[in-house]
Parts: sequence; structure tokens; C-alpha cells
Amino acid sequence: MKIDNSLPLEYSTEENSLKILGFWIFLGAEIMLFATLFATYFTLENRTGSGPTGAEIFQITPVLFETIILLTSSFTVGLGIHAMRIGKQKAMVTFFSITLLLGLAFLGVEIFEFVTYVHEGAGIQTSAFTSALLTTLGTHGAHVTLGFFWGLFIILQIKKRGLTPQTTNKAFIFSLYWHFLDVVWIFIFSFIYLKGMM
Amino acid sequence: MSQLFPMKQVLGFVFSLLLTTVALAVYFLDMSFAAGMTILLVTAFIQAGLQLVVFMHAGETKDKSAIYTNVFYGLIIALVTVFGTLLAMVWDM
Repeated sequence: MKIDNSLPLEYSTEENSLKILGFWIFLGAEIMLFATLFATYFTLENRTGSGPTGAEIFQITPVLFETIILLTSSFTVGLGIHAMRIGKQKAMVTFFSITLLLGLAFLGVEIFEFVTYVHEGAGIQTSAFTSALLTTLGTHGAHVTLGFFWGLFIILQIKKRGLTPQTTNKAFIFSLYWHFLDVVWIFIFSFIYLKGMM
Repeated sequence: MSQLFPMKQVLGFVFSLLLTTVALAVYFLDMSFAAGMTILLVTAFIQAGLQLVVFMHAGETKDKSAIYTNVFYGLIIALVTVFGTLLAMVWDM
């Protein structure tokens, strides 16, 4: 294994940089996945049938909390990667742990939101609008849930093995995934919630 | 301690909060649908670009042209999917 010391550890071998590029290609496919969900949502958002409209069920407070929590978690995972690059394992684990706690807080608010929707008579089968809405939000929420467990295992491995070309590579790829989820959320926040409440 | 908070990322975070605040104007202020959508499109895409460059380190390594090509490819397919659907299903053209 040839290690190039001029690059950050997560990029230091040929295999490492190929894995990072491979993950970018996966993210390209994820962009397209979310595009189909948005296209479906935009087509169906006015087909509310006898159910509520977006303007009736959306509330700014939980949405604002979710947005700020996710933006902050994206920032802390970025700081984690920075700490990793300067070799500070303890700081990195702390930043990653804060990120995951924020991820949990986000999921908590989102679950509270879903329960509220169902209580207000907006379940997934109520109308074309609620189906498209909950499928889009749910797909994002499922990604965050997966990311939580992924991040947890990365932290455990780093505690066990330290910062090696392998563990830093995994942590960096996890950070790409987490930032990507924040990007998707920005589009949900803008074009589902704010557009719906405008 | 301060070396754990690089200026670039702190500024990136402050700027992303600022963009969120600007986007919120469409909720708190009274404006036309077109004006509101323009603000949302501009803030959302700047925000996405910011994440890509500042936090995802997209342009830092020698595979950057492959990364950007791939992201733009994904983005083009995404835009064609969304606007193609809007054209056919919503705008009735």
C-alpha cells in the first residue's frame, strides 16, 4: 500500500481516493432520487381531496428548529473532519458525538411533527398531497436515521483503532453523506415548507 | 482551542444561517409568488453550493474535475426531471 503523505490521511492511498469518488457518484444518484420525489410532490401538492392543505398543517416553529439543528450538525461534522485532519482524535470524537446528538434531536422534532399531522387528519393515505409529502419527508428522515447508526459505528471504530488511513476515510465519507442530507433538507425547507406557507 | 474552529468553516456556518434568515422573509413578509420563489431558488442553490465547497471539500484534490462533473450530471438530471414533470403535469404545455 503506497501512502502519500502530502495528502490528508483519508486521501492517502489510491484505494482511499477511489472510495471517496465512488461515494460522490452515489450522492449523484441520490440527487436524482430526491428529484423524483420533489417532481411527484410538485405534481400532487394541490390534490388535497377532502384532507388538509399544506398551509393548514405546516407550522413554522418545528420546521425552523429542524433547519437550525441540521445546519448546526452539518457545521459540527465539518469541524470533526477538520479536527481529524490535524490529528486531534478526542476533539473529532466530541464533534462527531455532538453531530449525532443533533441528528437525534432532529429526528425527535420530525417524529413529533408526523404525530401532529396524523392527529390533524393528515395520514399517509389521506390524499395525494399527504402521500407525496410524507414519502418525501420520510425518505429524508430514513436517511438521517441510517446516518445516525452509521456515525455511531464510525465513532466506535475510531475509538478502537485510532486515526488510520481506513478509519479516517470512512469518517470523511460519512461526513459527505451528512452534509448531503443537510442540502436535501434545505430544499425541503424552501420548496415544501416555505413555499407551502407563503 | 481556536485551531479547532477554522475561520472558513465558521464563516460558512454564519453565512448559511444568514441565507436561512433571508429565505424566511418569504414567510414573514408579504410578497408576490414570483418574488418569493425567486428568493427561495437563489438562497437554496447558494446554500447547496456553500455546503459543497466549504464543508464537503469538493475542489481540494486532484479528482475535483471528476467530482464536479458527477455532481453537475446529477444536478442536470434532477432539474430535467423536476422541470420536465412541471411542464407536462402542472403547467400543461
